[in-house]
Amino acid sequence: MIRERLGYIIGGIGAVLLIFTLWYFSNPRRAAHAQAGFLGIISPFLKQGSSLQRHYASKKESLKTFDELEAEVKRLRIANKELSATNQALRGMEAENNRLRGALGYRERAAFQLMPARIIARDSSTWYQKITIDRGSEELIEPDQAVLTESGLVGKTTNVISAHSAQVILITDENCRISATVEGTSEQGIVKGERATGAGIPTLGLGFLRKQAKLRPGMIVYTSGVGGVFPYGVPIGTIEEFRMRELDSYATIKPAVDLSTIEDVFVVISDTK
Amino acid sequence: MIFFLLLLLLQFVALIVQHHIPQLPMIGCRVLLMQIIMLYAAIALPLPGMLVATFLGGFMWDALHSQMAGEAYEISLGWSIALYTVLGAIMAGFRPMFRRGRWEIHCLLTGFLVCLMVLAEYVVISIRREPVQFIFNRDVAWRIGGAGLIATLLSPLVFFVLNYVAVLTGYDPQPERHTKTKRR
Repeated sequence: MIRERLGYIIGGIGAVLLIFTLWYFSNPRRAAHAQAGFLGIISPFLKQGSSLQRHYASKKESLKTFDELEAEVKRLRIANKELSATNQALRGMEAENNRLRGALGYRERAAFQLMPARIIARDSSTWYQKITIDRGSEELIEPDQAVLTESGLVGKTTNVISAHSAQVILITDENCRISATVEGTSEQGIVKGERATGAGIPTLGLGFLRKQAKLRPGMIVYTSGVGGVFPYGVPIGTIEEFRMRELDSYATIKPAVDLSTIEDVFVVISDTK
Repeated sequence: MIFFLLLLLLQFVALIVQHHIPQLPMIGCRVLLMQIIMLYAAIALPLPGMLVATFLGGFMWDALHSQMAGEAYEISLGWSIALYTVLGAIMAGFRPMFRRGRWEIHCLLTGFLVCLMVLAEYVVISIRREPVQFIFNRDVAWRIGGAGLIATLLSPLVFFVLNYVAVLTGYDPQPERHTKTKRR
């Protein structure tokens, strides 16, 4: 008799536990706590997996000849010198720009530092676009810090998992919205990921543009700096298609960064910290 | 018991492995290894085992993927536990056939249920995000159907390997496979 009803008893206990779990995690604070705990457990394994992948990739790389490697080192040394010189010049211009803005009574634009980070995991779900980086609370990473590469914007930090890992939502995710401006115009709009794009390079949408906006393919879209999360003037992508809608105009953008292949990024950390 | 614990461990390992598998080119879908192992657990283990496996699978999936939208979670943590339990229960309904040594229909069902998982996620996201809109084009269909197709193709191999591991640990998931059924 008890054996026959065992299935119902176990099912009942399971249902009660399920309802309790759903109720327990309906509180965002408790859910965030549980999520952080689990991510803390899994992140060392993700890091290990990532280093294995890199090790395998570097094995492939090591098949280069000595001459090829020497040429590459030479090229990288020259590029490094060029970049250092450019960076030096830009720092000077930034200081001058801030001085002149101060003289005109404008608010001084915040200077920032770049924290290099490595991608240790990419999101494995179908509908989210996230990555995990190897920098966390110990490196002053906080939620809502811009993440970029030398080519352009990548996304922003959302969840600091542990002392040495944090999650970054990519610009191609629909939940990441960026205030943007278009090169050579005064047009401003909001960039966000498109939900259902093909398997190739995911596209972005630039919406809330004026109906009279006159944009054309090939124009570069930059961050406008409005909102304080993303610094001003970081390239987001290039306009691929532009169309007028009933109330506004809309542009489809190809991201400046190939998000499927990047391995290293920079997190923007305010100089005030 | 050893096999049950091993399956839970394998679910965790599969979750890490699938995290390093990129989107499939051309169709853009994902390889959902953890879900295949979880559905195997639903037919290979008795009811309590199925419940624990789906609970763990749902919790790990949500903990890894749920994201905040403003003050609240877009999809609340625990939602996948409910979904996976329902789908696991459907799979468990076919357990008697699996015990008798059949596996073909279970592989097809694995693909179908994986499709349902991805579709359910998409429907919930479409409802939760502003503006509420349900876009269903070829790309979306491929992402959903592709995940199911990959699961269908992978499941015979996964089932075979796991059956072998089960026997090695002293557990027989198909004890009635040599029993002849009487036909009238």
